[in-house]
Amino acid sequence: MTTLNVNGKQREVTASDDTPLLYVLRNELDVMTPKFGCGLAQCGACSVLLGDEEIRACVTPIGSIEGKAITTVDGLPARWAKSQSLAPDPARLHPVQQDWVDEQVPQCGICQFGMMIKVTELLEANPRPDDAAIKAALTSSGPSPHLCRCASYAAIMEGVHRVATIIAEGGPK
Amino acid sequence: MSVAPGQMQDLIIHGARLTSVSRRGFLGAGGGLIVAMGLAPGLARATANGASLDPALPASWIEIHADGSFRIRTGKCDFGQSSIYTAYRQIVAEELSVPVEAITSVVSGDTDSTPDGGGTFGLLRYASNNMRKAAAYTREAVLELAAQRFGVPCSAVTVSNGVISGGGKQARYGDIVAGQDLRLTIPVSGELTGFAGLMVTGDPQLKNPAHYTVVGQPVTNPSIRLKVAGETLWVGDVKLSGMLHARVIHPATLGSTLIAPGRLDSGQFPGARLVRIGNLLAVVSPDEWQAVSAAQAVAADTKWSEWKGLPGSDKLLDHLQHKVDWTAVPATKSSASKGDAAGQTSAKTHAATYFMPYLKHAPIGPTVSLADVKPDGAVTVHTHSQNPQYLRMAIAKMLGTGLESVVIRTYPGPGHFGRSNGGNAGSEDEAVLLSRQLGMPVRVQWMRADDMLWSTQSSTAFADIRIGLNAAGRITSYAATHSGPPMQDDRPIGALLAGLPTIAAPSAANPSPIHTAKINIADRWVYSTIAHVSEIGRGTIQLGQAESPLAVGLRDHSMRTPIQFQQNFPREVAISEAAALAGKDAIQFRIDHSDDPRVKAVLERLRLEADWDTRASPASKARASGDQTVRGRGVSVMLRDNGYWACAAHIAVVPASGEVKVERITLVADPGIVVNPLQLRRQMQAGCLMGVSQTLFEEVSFDAGAVTSADWQSYPILTMADMPELKVVIAPCAGAEVYGQGSESANALAAPAIAAAFQDATGKPARRIPLRPDYVKAMLSA
Repeated sequence: MTTLNVNGKQREVTASDDTPLLYVLRNELDVMTPKFGCGLAQCGACSVLLGDEEIRACVTPIGSIEGKAITTVDGLPARWAKSQSLAPDPARLHPVQQDWVDEQVPQCGICQFGMMIKVTELLEANPRPDDAAIKAALTSSGPSPHLCRCASYAAIMEGVHRVATIIAEGGPK
Repeated sequence: MSVAPGQMQDLIIHGARLTSVSRRGFLGAGGGLIVAMGLAPGLARATANGASLDPALPASWIEIHADGSFRIRTGKCDFGQSSIYTAYRQIVAEELSVPVEAITSVVSGDTDSTPDGGGTFGLLRYASNNMRKAAAYTREAVLELAAQRFGVPCSAVTVSNGVISGGGKQARYGDIVAGQDLRLTIPVSGELTGFAGLMVTGDPQLKNPAHYTVVGQPVTNPSIRLKVAGETLWVGDVKLSGMLHARVIHPATLGSTLIAPGRLDSGQFPGARLVRIGNLLAVVSPDEWQAVSAAQAVAADTKWSEWKGLPGSDKLLDHLQHKVDWTAVPATKSSASKGDAAGQTSAKTHAATYFMPYLKHAPIGPTVSLADVKPDGAVTVHTHSQNPQYLRMAIAKMLGTGLESVVIRTYPGPGHFGRSNGGNAGSEDEAVLLSRQLGMPVRVQWMRADDMLWSTQSSTAFADIRIGLNAAGRITSYAATHSGPPMQDDRPIGALLAGLPTIAAPSAANPSPIHTAKINIADRWVYSTIAHVSEIGRGTIQLGQAESPLAVGLRDHSMRTPIQFQQNFPREVAISEAAALAGKDAIQFRIDHSDDPRVKAVLERLRLEADWDTRASPASKARASGDQTVRGRGVSVMLRDNGYWACAAHIAVVPASGEVKVERITLVADPGIVVNPLQLRRQMQAGCLMGVSQTLFEEVSFDAGAVTSADWQSYPILTMADMPELKVVIAPCAGAEVYGQGSESANALAAPAIAAAFQDATGKPARRIPLRPDYVKAMLSA
């Protein structure tokens, strides 16, 4: 038995310690937003936050992260509510998610779970990133670039700037 | 006056028939109207006998519910461009004259609950005619009923914003049909499981585009919130009770047969099983990670026959030019060909060969499918397909069973840009065969390498182009010969490995226009003032297919702007080179060679929007050597689906390193009627940037037997850091009468514009893609 801390809950899992986190999240815990893209830490579709840092779930054995706080896109609304001391509201998304809706960022959307995780990591560390900081975050800051085959990069750039402004002004109204 | 079931006389409306149905309750107690199709007798039998189908459901396009909401159904699917959730709702709402919000439900793709089949492509330009006509028939029928109720002639009834008025009375669609079970049967033609599916025929009165209020609005895509909130069931998320996870161990090469499977260590992998069906080899396990690990172990120990039947990607152009017999497949000639291009003398001549490599659709998620084959032979496939009814046909053919045994269910998945418009994307057939063998539901998830090595690719091509100029620098003759392997192989790979029946491979004799080996000229001609034009298409069979014991080789498949991209790149780069030879500005040169006002308008708008410096190429500071950055700009034009597109690229080149950076792209489109400017803008941005990716980075590498582009390092694509400044401009011509397409066209423009900018910056032509450093250095030293 390994105990994982996923989106604020302690979850006991039976998978062996060398099983990559992605398979455990999706198959054992039914946490489905991290997606399988390459299994090689080359694309970012499976990204989750470990504490405040993005990692690739497809190559991270669960034995290496026991007890550490894991946040997936499913857990972003609660992460935001906690950071702002807001009462829980099931209709409220994290500002990055809401912005992805309002700005109509995704095309097919399969990469956007990793994109939103990476952008959350960026904005928590750097609330007003410029173009260069956004490009660096999504290209060179992690194990690999975050890839979007639909090439929704222009929409992502517009989305990050808009949500940074919204957060700076106190979050979505 | 209300019309009660049983009292109503059948109404014939533009060839459609409105009846009340005796069987109650198919829409629930409140009644409603269901828009069905007029089935040919044979087809009606095939559908009505469908295994799991309620015959009422697959025959419906539009449902009007008593509460005033509407449901629409389409056999097309969404691949991220949102058209079925945005544009289709707008088109239907427009014809019905109801608010778009009233269309609360879109059912798509599933073969047991959608009506028309056919492929997801040309969604607005062509495919939307089905929904549009179905909506027009519906409106006319309901207005007839309203006229009866109001006691006025039909000509006195109008509808606006969902309110039907006549004789001083008002009602809504839901009021008119409430309490009745009505069926409107509309005429269709075609074949449900054919490549193009069914088409609504007849000639219902369509609304005049000048009166549009819903089409043209920036309606948001309702599927996005569900996706980013984590509430969407993607194909990879589907879990079937008792399912096994499978990993397929694909052959060592595209022509290898299985000599001996590796050993599965049941001590190390308890619960895992090895399955062999001909040359189809897979490991299954209830535990997914065990299936992955066990398949890797077995694969390392599996023996395949050796095979060498490919020229290798580094010798591909030479092979195409010198080793292929281009006379085996009849040549084609474009309809734009005229005059005597070969017989003209010219003051100056530009003659060159252009080359396009194989490209990959390369979805971010490798293909994944699930299948459940029951003991009685009923097959359900869960997948992400652009043409579910055609996949249904292919699965039935593979199994030697009737169509009625097969149901395809579709889900959102990673965009794959045309790969499955002939049904399969890979893995569906493998899941079916494994499930049939094991008697359990099976989920086949391809790994990244499977998806790169065993999927189809966008075909390679080369073109020989000769352009004659007169002393005034005008083109007197244009002659192009476009040569390449076929566009589309829809044979499922698992069926081929298992040695089971498939549709025919592409060949000259294949009667399917989409599956022929003949190469048509897909690039629409725009330079209408040139007197002598010759455009020839030459085809061949797929590379390695005849030599492969599996009949596989390098399978090709359409991608975004299939064949047109392969032909537009050489044409547009050659036109830019001819402009340079003539000493003319590349935009003005194009304008001067067309008398189509829309070609001229889109180019003139581009000149403005791109802040274009009008002059001849190359730039005065052009250099082909040194470590100083040089800059240039280039232009391209394309006519596709009655939409006019023009693109300008501004790039920087460092000759010593061979590094090319795209700094700025401007894309102008006159696509026709803009159904949704918000979604079109996003489609244009993304489509254009994917084109930049192809231009700078992409090429399928392969050796004598196998594809060697196995992952994102050996098949790199655009990253955010590579993104240029991007400006998209939507500039529809006044009075447009056809709906404008989006991302497909946007995808093709970048490559020829960037290549032209390269010549402007360096003085050396770029006659192939990708413009990666090793190729660039070779171009500069040529």
